[in-house]
Amino acid sequence: MAKEMIAMLLAGGQGSRLYALTEKLAKPAVPFGGKYRIIDFPLSNCVNSGIDTVGILTQYQPLVLNEYIGNGQPWDLDRLHGGVHVLPPYQKSSGSDWYKGTANAIYQNISFIERYDPKYVIILSGDQICKQDYSDFLRFHKEKDAEFSVAVMEVPWEEASRFGLMVADEDDKITEFQEKPKNPKSNLASMGIYIFNWDILRKYLEEDEANPESENDFGNNIIPNLLRDGRRMYAYHFSGYWKDVGTISSLWEANMEVLDPEHSGINLFDSDWKIYSRNSGMTGHKICPGAEVENAMITDGCRIKGTVKHSILFAGVKVEEGAIVEDAVVMGGTLIKSGAVVKHCIVAENVTIGENAVVGAMPSGDESGVATIGAGVTVGDGAKVGPKAMVSKNVEGGEEV
Amino acid sequence: MMNANKSALGIIFPNSHDALVPELVNVRLMASIPFASRYRLIDFILSSMTNCGINNVSLMVRNNYHSLMDHLGSGREWDLVRKNGGLTIFPPFADKTNKPFVGRVGALAGILEFLQDQKEEYVVLADTNVVVNFDFKALIDAHISTGADVTMAYNEQEIPESVLETTSNDKGFYYTFALQDGRITKMYVNSKAKGIQNFAMGIMLIRRELLIDLVNTAYVRGEVYLERDVLLHQLDRLNVQGYKYDGYVARIFDMKSYFDENMKLLDDYNLDALFSEAPVYTKIRDDNPSRYIAGAKVENIMVADGCIIEGEVENSVLFRGVKIAKGAKVKNCVLMQGTVVEAGADVEYVIADKDVTVSAGKELKGTDTFPVYIGKKQKV
Repeated sequence: MAKEMIAMLLAGGQGSRLYALTEKLAKPAVPFGGKYRIIDFPLSNCVNSGIDTVGILTQYQPLVLNEYIGNGQPWDLDRLHGGVHVLPPYQKSSGSDWYKGTANAIYQNISFIERYDPKYVIILSGDQICKQDYSDFLRFHKEKDAEFSVAVMEVPWEEASRFGLMVADEDDKITEFQEKPKNPKSNLASMGIYIFNWDILRKYLEEDEANPESENDFGNNIIPNLLRDGRRMYAYHFSGYWKDVGTISSLWEANMEVLDPEHSGINLFDSDWKIYSRNSGMTGHKICPGAEVENAMITDGCRIKGTVKHSILFAGVKVEEGAIVEDAVVMGGTLIKSGAVVKHCIVAENVTIGENAVVGAMPSGDESGVATIGAGVTVGDGAKVGPKAMVSKNVEGGEEV
Repeated sequence: MMNANKSALGIIFPNSHDALVPELVNVRLMASIPFASRYRLIDFILSSMTNCGINNVSLMVRNNYHSLMDHLGSGREWDLVRKNGGLTIFPPFADKTNKPFVGRVGALAGILEFLQDQKEEYVVLADTNVVVNFDFKALIDAHISTGADVTMAYNEQEIPESVLETTSNDKGFYYTFALQDGRITKMYVNSKAKGIQNFAMGIMLIRRELLIDLVNTAYVRGEVYLERDVLLHQLDRLNVQGYKYDGYVARIFDMKSYFDENMKLLDDYNLDALFSEAPVYTKIRDDNPSRYIAGAKVENIMVADGCIIEGEVENSVLFRGVKIAKGAKVKNCVLMQGTVVEAGADVEYVIADKDVTVSAGKELKGTDTFPVYIGKKQKV
């Protein structure tokens, strides 16, 4: 049975700029927004857009991601025909290869795509926070009778040179592609989300693979080749919330924006476009006598006895008496002991912050930065972790980092 | 580890004791009454069963069971989508001559053929008005080691004041025992005795073959209740053992106890006692985390996901998706899923059923002995 469109989700990125957070897990598996992981966004977008077949291309530290995806049931992607499939590189009779680039990852899974005989393939990226209706993107692609479409965002001109830019005419037809140019001719940044006609994608993947000089990358190779051949290429304008959370500061910022949906535009309280996730199964959270909670997002299993301000707490976080958590992202299962002060930072899963320890600081003068504590770390009693610190090993009591 | 053929199957009676809380079962049944911010009563006994390897569970529903069907779906959240066994819901069977069943004997008589076809050696019977995180493995072990015909679980507690005061029997039956070396020698129906009693929990274990025999005979004689009409009269013939349960027990026997048992879970000690034994599963709603907006003032509350809190909340249990607007005051309340308390409203000692709205500026106050109940979807 043929599918109209299936999705291929690039989730192999190491996310090295997230340092301690991605030492043991792939970037798409990084927790976000209180009870989600980054990959919940593209997956939920797929389901909400009517896409029921998704291939997830993994490579770097796939264990957590594999277990998290499981049979795809939390996203309603456990289907008889289709559903979600995790696709790591595998051995073939011709030998085995890691995914060499984004295009090569798709190339190595041509046989997977063929099983569904799709008309269109949408290529998604597993490191963005975005609520997007891919069915509207497909409608645009069909209306333009395009062979390739790319979702673009208008970015401020002064920042344009940081992005891959699409130069398009008044009919949105793409005439030129500039990768991080010094002199931008456009402010339409590629979101790295593409719709291809499957026959076209296949043709260009095979051609690209045959070229030993190629980096096998969509941005550097496939798109320029499409342009070279004068293919029908269009730019689809997206204007909703979109954030690449590839760095510690952008990840922290995006979490803080969740706290302020009225201004940031990222609304997780949208019953018409739910973001699905694998649930913790813990009891409702508790705000105990003496606690102070203001402007925060808190989820199941949390126990708050201290002060929590302008922060996001994931499942099962415990904040003991007298502890202060402010401007912080605290991931699941972390314990913040009494008297500890945790500010302006990201604390990963299952961390213990000792009594009276200090982690991070509000920006002041020349000291600013988002302190980061990696998963499973213990910060000893009375220890001090500075605002720029990146901690992935235990910190002894009283030690300063 | 247990041989799949040696284990027990579970039978739950979701409608039993409905009469105790008429308001709450107006639109549902005992088993689907919301409890502890994100659960329904049946989640506890059902999770206990699956956690103990009881993967063949039947529900003998009688009436008002749509909410329960909606909650359970295919049973996936309790890991009860199984090739062998899994979750079976038996709707009531009625024809010209038969009315829908009454009592456990009537219910079981309707599924005798099913019972005969099962492989499990034992049957666990349970109601849903007693909230426990129960270890059925220990019950089965005790049953085997004592060589009992029937084992009934009980805990030691007083019969509540309000139950002692009622004179009529129209709220159904409860049972207490006299024990000798663990064996039940006397069983009392609706006892008015004061002080600590051996109070039956509605959970019993029995060999499947014996259950079929007992039900067969009893049904022919027109008997209705397994304890009152069958076991009570055969205590000398059958070895009926009591199994003392020392874990946390929350009994729902009226509106007041429903309110109190929710409130008791605000104490960490009680919450841990009920939940730390084994996980309790429930239907997933995929709500976002709850949001506390600047200006919110909260203390001593238990809150599920999907809530938005801008006002003041104290000593309360909030279910999923509750909204407390700016300037609203909520104190000593149990607010079920989707309750909205609008700006400036002031509520105290209120049990709000699902999707209730308390309009702006309204004041509504019950007392600790008599919480005000607002029916489902009502606007105050």
